[in-house]
Amino acid sequence: MAQTGHLTAAPAAPNIWAAMPLKRRVMWLRIALLVGIVAVWEAVAASGLLFRDVVPSLLTVGRSLFDIVTKPDYKVTLGGSEIWIPEFYRHLWVTTGEVATAMTIGGLAGLVIGLLLGTNPFLSGAFERFLYYLGPTPKIIFFPIMIMWFGVGPGSKVAMGTISCFFPVVLSAAAGVRQVESVLIRVGRSFRLNSWQMVTKIYLPAMRPSIINGVRLGLGVAVIGTLLAETKLSNQGVGFLIINSYSTFDMPRMYALLMLLFMVAIGANALVGRASRG
Amino acid sequence: MAAAPNASARPGDGGSASAEPLLVVDDIYKQFETPEGPVIAVDHISLKVMPGEFLSVIGPSGCGKSTLFNIMGGLLDDYQGRVSVAGETVKGPHASIGMIFQEESTFPWRTVIDNVAFPLEIAGMPKAERHDRALHFIDLVGLNGFERRYPAELSGGMRQRVSMARTLASEPKILLMDEPFAALDEQTRLLLGDKVVQIQQQLQQTTLLITHNLTEAVQLSDRILVMTYRPGKTKRIVEIKLPRPRSSEIVGSDAFGHYVAQIWNDLREEASRGLKDDESRRAERRR
Ligand SMILES: Nc1ncnc2c1ncn2[C@@H]1O[C@H](COP(=O)(O)OP(=O)(O)OP(=O)(O)O)[C@@H](O)[C@H]1O
Ligand SMILES: [Mg+2]
Repeated sequence: MAQTGHLTAAPAAPNIWAAMPLKRRVMWLRIALLVGIVAVWEAVAASGLLFRDVVPSLLTVGRSLFDIVTKPDYKVTLGGSEIWIPEFYRHLWVTTGEVATAMTIGGLAGLVIGLLLGTNPFLSGAFERFLYYLGPTPKIIFFPIMIMWFGVGPGSKVAMGTISCFFPVVLSAAAGVRQVESVLIRVGRSFRLNSWQMVTKIYLPAMRPSIINGVRLGLGVAVIGTLLAETKLSNQGVGFLIINSYSTFDMPRMYALLMLLFMVAIGANALVGRASRG
Repeated sequence: MAAAPNASARPGDGGSASAEPLLVVDDIYKQFETPEGPVIAVDHISLKVMPGEFLSVIGPSGCGKSTLFNIMGGLLDDYQGRVSVAGETVKGPHASIGMIFQEESTFPWRTVIDNVAFPLEIAGMPKAERHDRALHFIDLVGLNGFERRYPAELSGGMRQRVSMARTLASEPKILLMDEPFAALDEQTRLLLGDKVVQIQQQLQQTTLLITHNLTEAVQLSDRILVMTYRPGKTKRIVEIKLPRPRSSEIVGSDAFGHYVAQIWNDLREEASRGLKDDESRRAERRR
């Protein structure tokens, strides 16, 4: 460990590296890695070895990113007056709306069905097996059907997100129900709770960790499902923007959009994380 | 089989003869299907408990005490026999019965005060009022100052007292307690035992207590049901004719010692049968 350590970060004073707390060492390693990647990237970009713009200089990517988030090139009418905003925000809004709707529908359906499966051996015996089969199937194969059912607009994207997020939520909810301590259920029954109270006062709070885990996984795949659908067939949304930059060969813009997407995804995950603690 | 020769002490004969029994357990039989075949957990046990009576159940581990309690509490079906409260057959959890379980049963996502106020919340009592009531019961089990803590921040014995306060807060007419003092040290156990009897006498609460502690059983009870090792039958019902109120000092008296010795005699027989049984089963598994 320390050996590789003082090679990358502190060759002059190896004992400083060894004395550093683990967190600090991890940070330095990350910085070193980042600097390395950037250096290699820039070198490749400058060398001109690869076809024009496949590896654009980070400077152009940065400029493109700046344009995307600041350059007002889209007109919206808000309460009678016209304002110009960067078009990116409109697409981000569309995608966010699609993902949020998908999470709501798929998450709620997953939770309710998961509760039913977890508490009812008859239902789980009949259906749970299919969920395990369908869970790992790439959901994009359903996209043609979704287009037929819900059209080429946001409807089919929401449907893809919904299908994607349903599976992790339903499976974690069903597993979560079974992990609820049986004595807590007996406590609820002996205090004569009705079914609704059993769910809201015993099952849901006791299942909280599995539900949050399911929602986290669900959010990830809902974003993937929605974006993938947008790249396949659409005229709006972040996925559309990315594939559009690709087909017009605007590589700096494409990389910039990907970076923005990463940041949004990290932010969303952090939000779920905070909600789980609060 | 050393089946109870002393069955002459008929169940339910204790207590005042004129009053109607509050809780009647009539010929309960329960068997569990397990992978190793059926296990008889409760074998034809009958019992009549008078209003305000304190009855302890004592018996070797695995003899069916908790099963009997779960049946009385309406948490198990699929048994033979009948349980009734004030003449009304019990089907499912009964409003007059409150249970304290053997296992850890606090809600880890609720603070102490919200745990204790739980039954009041279910009954629809407004927050301020139910917190007020809850504080009273938290005080009763000696946990004042810990209202805002979560169960994870308490010791095992403290958590057990939280579940006790929670059940007490629902003010049940009949209290079923499954080894509520098991996780406590001897001193706390005695003090809390005194408290329980105080509350019980005050509220004229009918109380059934499962315990492995002979001293505790003799100190607290009007009668003690001694159960046999599998299948769980009535070995004997012992009436404790010690004057009340009984303070913890009574533990040193001759009469007290006599009761303890008598019950210990019964228990030793059953417990050693249980041990032998376990050993032979282990030997079988080794083969
Ligand atoms: N749900 C169940 N399924 C199968 N067998 C069970 C079940 N519950 C209890 N038993 C069996 O029934 C018997 C009695 O169990 P019970 O929990 O009533 O014993 P207990 O007297 O309370 O013991 P302890 O003093 O150790 O708490 C045991 O042999 C146990 O293995
Ligand atoms: Mg038990």
